[in-house]
Amino acid sequence: MAEFSKQLERLEAIVRKLEAEDLDLDEALRLFEEGVERLRVAREQLVQAELKVKKVLEIESPS
Amino acid sequence: MGQPLDLFAAASAEGAWSVGEVTKRARAVIEAGLPPLWVRGEITGFKAWRSGHWYFSLRDKTAQLRCVMFAKQNYMLPTPVDGMQVFVFARPSIYEEKGDFQLTVMELLSTAEGGLWKLAFEKAKAALLKDGLLDPARKRRLPAFPRRIAVVTSPDGAVLRDIQSVVGRRWPLAELIVVPAQVQGAKAEASVCSALNRISRLPVDVLIVGRGGGSVEDLWAFNSERVARAVAAMPMPVISAIGHETDVTLCDLVADFRAPTPSAAAEAATPDRAEVLAHCGVLGQRLARALRIASRHVVERLNRTGDRLTRGMDHRLERSRALLTAHSARLDALSPLRVLGRGYAVARDADGNVLKRVAQLPSGKEFQLRVSDGEVNGRVQ
Repeated sequence: MAEFSKQLERLEAIVRKLEAEDLDLDEALRLFEEGVERLRVAREQLVQAELKVKKVLEIESPS
Repeated sequence: MGQPLDLFAAASAEGAWSVGEVTKRARAVIEAGLPPLWVRGEITGFKAWRSGHWYFSLRDKTAQLRCVMFAKQNYMLPTPVDGMQVFVFARPSIYEEKGDFQLTVMELLSTAEGGLWKLAFEKAKAALLKDGLLDPARKRRLPAFPRRIAVVTSPDGAVLRDIQSVVGRRWPLAELIVVPAQVQGAKAEASVCSALNRISRLPVDVLIVGRGGGSVEDLWAFNSERVARAVAAMPMPVISAIGHETDVTLCDLVADFRAPTPSAAAEAATPDRAEVLAHCGVLGQRLARALRIASRHVVERLNRTGDRLTRGMDHRLERSRALLTAHSARLDALSPLRVLGRGYAVARDADGNVLKRVAQLPSGKEFQLRVSDGEVNGRVQ
């Protein structure tokens, strides 16, 4: 699973690029599709995540 | 204490007491005659042994008293220094092996302002300040979307429960790595340092050091200079949530962020999932709008291109039309009809062949004569 912050950063970059630049339709569509996919994955991560708790024992520590 | 010594026997060399008997007797007399009591004096010759026991003397203008304070009594106390005025609650006794009269100290209070704690705190704080560890510029920003959050705390306390519940609600995308430590008692300092050391080698984005409220003694591990330095040396940002909001510990001072409670620490460590979801919604809307705008640009460009194309075509048509007119004028000039108009005529036979020579026109031959405004039939005579 891709790191959430990277996912979101890329998504924000896509939105900014799409908003700011006069792209040809192919490029705009390509970015749009990538954005939609990343949005889907990010939403999925947010909705489906369940906290994992791991205990690290002190005894293991000397190394 | 045992059977009374025979004082008369001791009056002669033959009846002499052993050293052990005298010290034992003296100890019994002193312990019976001087119950535990408060003593006031100035510390001198202070020495802390590796065992943790403290040895020092209390003195005033006229006398000195040897004192011992064992590790199990002093472990929670900051270390006193020579010259400090203190009160001790102590049991006077004889240390038989050395024959020393001494106080076994059970409690030690400083008469300095704020007490020993305050003094030790200020001393450690000054040392940290000198090394720049309290510089606000050192404070690191907490990560926006942490993947791994480590927690150093008591494994079965309310602190861990609170943190786990808040992180689970706000940012379950994270992994919570719990490193249990003793947060109070004689081993707390070493235990916390060891937990910190362990975490410093793990890929962790942010660390919470937590401890519920308690007395100044309970929180002492987090006022230890050693723990404070370990916190300052952590490779990732540290959130400190020690005791109640009013108890500022050294650990709080060196941490990158100080939270009033463990729950607040967990909130500071995490973004709110609901807010991030809402943000994603906005990004989705912007994405769709941006595409609409981008495609509108393309359509506009297409329209503009179409216009140019049409204009080009019109131009070409115009030229063709002019050309056509010119050509037709020239065509017109060459037209046989115009020749006929000038009074010439064309003779054709029945098959349409033009009759140009006399030989084609024998007597009696029928022909058609085309003049400017029509045809007439004729016969050669």
